[in-house]
Amino acid sequence: MTTTALATEDIFAIIVGHAREVLPGLDDHAFQFSDSLRDLGANSIDRSEIVMLTLESLSLKIPMIEVAKAENMGELATLLHARL
Amino acid sequence: MHGPDPARIVVTGIGITTSIGQGRRAFVDALLAGEHRFSVMRRPGRQRPSAVDGTAAPFIGAEIADLRMPATIPTAMLRNASWSAQAALATLHEAWEDAGLENVDPDRIGLIVGGSNLQQRELVQNQIKYQDRIEFLRPTHAMTFMDSDLCGICSEVFGIRGLSITVGGASASGQLAAIQAAEAVRSGQVDVCIALGALMDLSFFECQAFRSLGAMGSDRFADQPELACRPFDRDHDGFIFGEACGAIVVRRASDVTFDTKQDVTRDAVQGAMSHARSPYAELKGWAMAWDANRNPNPSLEGETTVIRRALAMAGLAADAIDYVNPHGTGSMVGDETELAALRACGLDHAYINATKSLVGHGLSAAGMVELIAIMLQMEAGKLHPTRNLENPMDAGFRWVAADPVDHRVERALNMSMGFGGINTAVCLQRCRPL
Repeated sequence: MTTTALATEDIFAIIVGHAREVLPGLDDHAFQFSDSLRDLGANSIDRSEIVMLTLESLSLKIPMIEVAKAENMGELATLLHARL
Repeated sequence: MHGPDPARIVVTGIGITTSIGQGRRAFVDALLAGEHRFSVMRRPGRQRPSAVDGTAAPFIGAEIADLRMPATIPTAMLRNASWSAQAALATLHEAWEDAGLENVDPDRIGLIVGGSNLQQRELVQNQIKYQDRIEFLRPTHAMTFMDSDLCGICSEVFGIRGLSITVGGASASGQLAAIQAAEAVRSGQVDVCIALGALMDLSFFECQAFRSLGAMGSDRFADQPELACRPFDRDHDGFIFGEACGAIVVRRASDVTFDTKQDVTRDAVQGAMSHARSPYAELKGWAMAWDANRNPNPSLEGETTVIRRALAMAGLAADAIDYVNPHGTGSMVGDETELAALRACGLDHAYINATKSLVGHGLSAAGMVELIAIMLQMEAGKLHPTRNLENPMDAGFRWVAADPVDHRVERALNMSMGFGGINTAVCLQRCRPL
């Protein structure tokens, strides 16, 4: 994927796609920037899978620990956007 | 306290998934009809990336065409479940329902998963997929590459809390699981134990190695896959792989009261009084013996030892056995040694067929699939044919060859052997009326 022109919203959409892939029960959920993956039912393994799938989609090689401080999906998208 | 006869162990539930059928009814119908699904294997990861000399034929085997997953298995759980785990969940679900375990205390239920190195195909696929981008390897690979992941995923879905371990015995793993489950119940460790012969998911790496070793069938029948699997036939030249998974539920006979005339079971464990059919069979005797030999070569001494010990535990003379379901892989030396062992133990009078001729060699699942085949044939009053048995290596046995045979099995012997010098045998006795 070409990542140079991606906006934070685009990355958020990628995260949402992978969240729905890992957590099928969220198919109909209207995701917001303020959503917490933890509050949506993702356990630590689910969260690491969603983050890794997103990093792979972005071809972004950064340590997982760097994204651990994101409190919600919007912060995660913003953080990843800053590392592109 | 477990009643007056704690040593008697019976089978109260069965689940089965094979290439020729998923579920007890489909499986036994296909068995008795002599069906097969041998073909060039097409599951991703079972084809050589490139032939060394450009001439090697693809691997032949029997694959499960369409695994039906019960609706009660959470889809989120299935996303990162290996193929072996998916087959285990579907198969265990059938056995669980069949045995009616919903009212049993989860702390008193155990699970023994037979098999090791089960998920090789997915390992190879991941290694190829991520070899140039290891940074993106899925975190859940750390869970799913372990065989004990099957224990974890099955125990979580079914709420099993009494025991959940794997046992490895190469191609004897399934029967080893049945024996360990019987021992766990007999000792009082748990009241109910599920023994699962897990699907061993071979990759092209293992297929190539098995073939190079001379264990797996050669290219001889590359253009006629339906002829490749031929246990005990003079034209055999190795085993043919088959995807399979089987599960049985065992418990003490004293915990299950049943009326054979009415074929009604009353489950006395924990005061529950669920009604079901009577047990399929009693596991009347079993034995394990090791050859102190790492190699894949079979041992006449090891095989005769387990036969005699299993009969002794069962309190049976050889002439009481009226049906033998052998290991019968189709390998060059294995078949000869097994027939010699059966003859040495006075078992050449009994009917004999080879379940692997229909479903292939399930490796870790094989012994369990064959135990189940015995019990379903007991129930049906028929013995399944042995495909491709055109010229038996020893015509002195009572073969069930091209056609099924009507026969009421009363007492059967099942054999399983594995690489590394493991030999196992189990004697079963009918419980259920025809």
